[in-house]
Amino acid sequence: MKRLVPLLAALAFALPAAAREWNVDMTRSTLGFTATYQGEAFDGRFERFGAKIAYDPADLAHAKFDVSVDLASADTQNAERDQMLPGADFFDVAKFPRARFVSTGFRRAADGTVLADGILTLRGVSRPLTLTVKFTPAAAGAALDVGASLRRLDFGVGGGDWADTSVIANAVTVKAHLALTPAGG
Amino acid sequence: MPLRSSDARWGALAQFFHWTVALLIVAQGAIGLAMVAMAPTVAKVKVYALHKSIGLTVLALALLRLAWRAADRRPADPPAMPRRQALAARAVHAALYVLILAIPLSGWLFNSAANFPLSWFGLVHVPSLTGGADPALKAFARAAHETLFWILVAVLAAHVGAALKHHYVDRDAVLARMLPWRTRRRPVPSGDSAR
Ligand code: HEM
Ligand code: HEM
Repeated sequence: MKRLVPLLAALAFALPAAAREWNVDMTRSTLGFTATYQGEAFDGRFERFGAKIAYDPADLAHAKFDVSVDLASADTQNAERDQMLPGADFFDVAKFPRARFVSTGFRRAADGTVLADGILTLRGVSRPLTLTVKFTPAAAGAALDVGASLRRLDFGVGGGDWADTSVIANAVTVKAHLALTPAGG
Repeated sequence: MPLRSSDARWGALAQFFHWTVALLIVAQGAIGLAMVAMAPTVAKVKVYALHKSIGLTVLALALLRLAWRAADRRPADPPAMPRRQALAARAVHAALYVLILAIPLSGWLFNSAANFPLSWFGLVHVPSLTGGADPALKAFARAAHETLFWILVAVLAAHVGAALKHHYVDRDAVLARMLPWRTRRRPVPSGDSAR
């Protein structure tokens, strides 16, 4: 039995090393989107979201993003719009309270940009989505800026009447800025 | 009909401004009252956009109209008109000018403070007056827009009532000289030496 502990330890080390894990400082992090309403761009942000980030620019093979967004927390600085967004025509938070992005792999594009491929699940629809990733080491951690563009109608956001793209454009860009601090000390 | 007003008659441009603005204001009141009761659909968004575009047109026309009025002349009051009545007419006209500027402005302010986009018939982007959401100002502008509209309705009742009284009771030319067509009451050349 005494040999079990070193054995387990050895086993643990034998497991593929996970890329460096980070904590996300939510007070300094934002997740938002830009959409177009009646020909004019507007910004929204999600007040509540969570992100599990494992990332080391030197070890992309083991990087992992798992981001979960509380859709009811959308704020677009417009009371009427913010009232509609959680409704059945848009995010339908009663049925689908959260959106989730889980990375499936990371790669480097020809120009050096890091791309995170993954699956976005939004309003019950799961589709591949690729994020651009910019990692900036800082004194006490790092900053992670990601961006993506998607088509809202792919996910049925703004269906029925609201599918009219002359009123709400199909293209939506998503942007996040995460302030990372070293995990577990 | 000459472009300029004379001592006896409103000119074509003054009449154009008067009647286009009158028509658009009436349409705006009807659209405004109907649209707020609509269910929140794309159709509602489009009707709102139309209301805002027509409203901005009224604002522009009102400004042009005042500029033209400064350059134009004003037909003389009928000689038989009592001084107090002439003053009342001036006061009502001044109130109407203020209202046709203040109502669209309050709508624009409301739209800005609510942080909605604004475009003139989808052709020209119109900037926000507040540069972002402002809930307190939004509530104020919303109330102002509606209250000013109902004040306009009251002032218009007096204005239209007075015009009809001139025509059917006093039987003078006050209404006729604002009409683009001839009526049985031809504008009296009340010492119209200007032409
Ligand atoms: C939204 C509707 C209306 C607005 C905002 C409006 C506004 C005005 C204003 C500001 C004037 C003064 C012109 C000046 O002295 O510079 C005026 C004159 C006049 N308005 Fe209106 N008006 C409206 C509707 C009407 C209607 C429906 C009638 C007819 C029944 C009417 C009949 C007249 C007449 C006859 C004059 C000429 C008064 C005069 O010669 O002294 N108006 N209007
Ligand atoms: C000629 C000028 C205008 C008139 C006579 C007018 C009249 C009205 C009226 C009667 C209402 C309904 C109020 C109610 O009962 O709740 C309304 C609502 C409204 N107006 Fe105007 N309006 C004018 C110009 C404008 C302009 C220029 C804008 C914006 C740029 C505007 C934006 C709005 C909006 C957004 C509402 C809806 C308020 C809400 O949903 O609570 N209006 N207007």
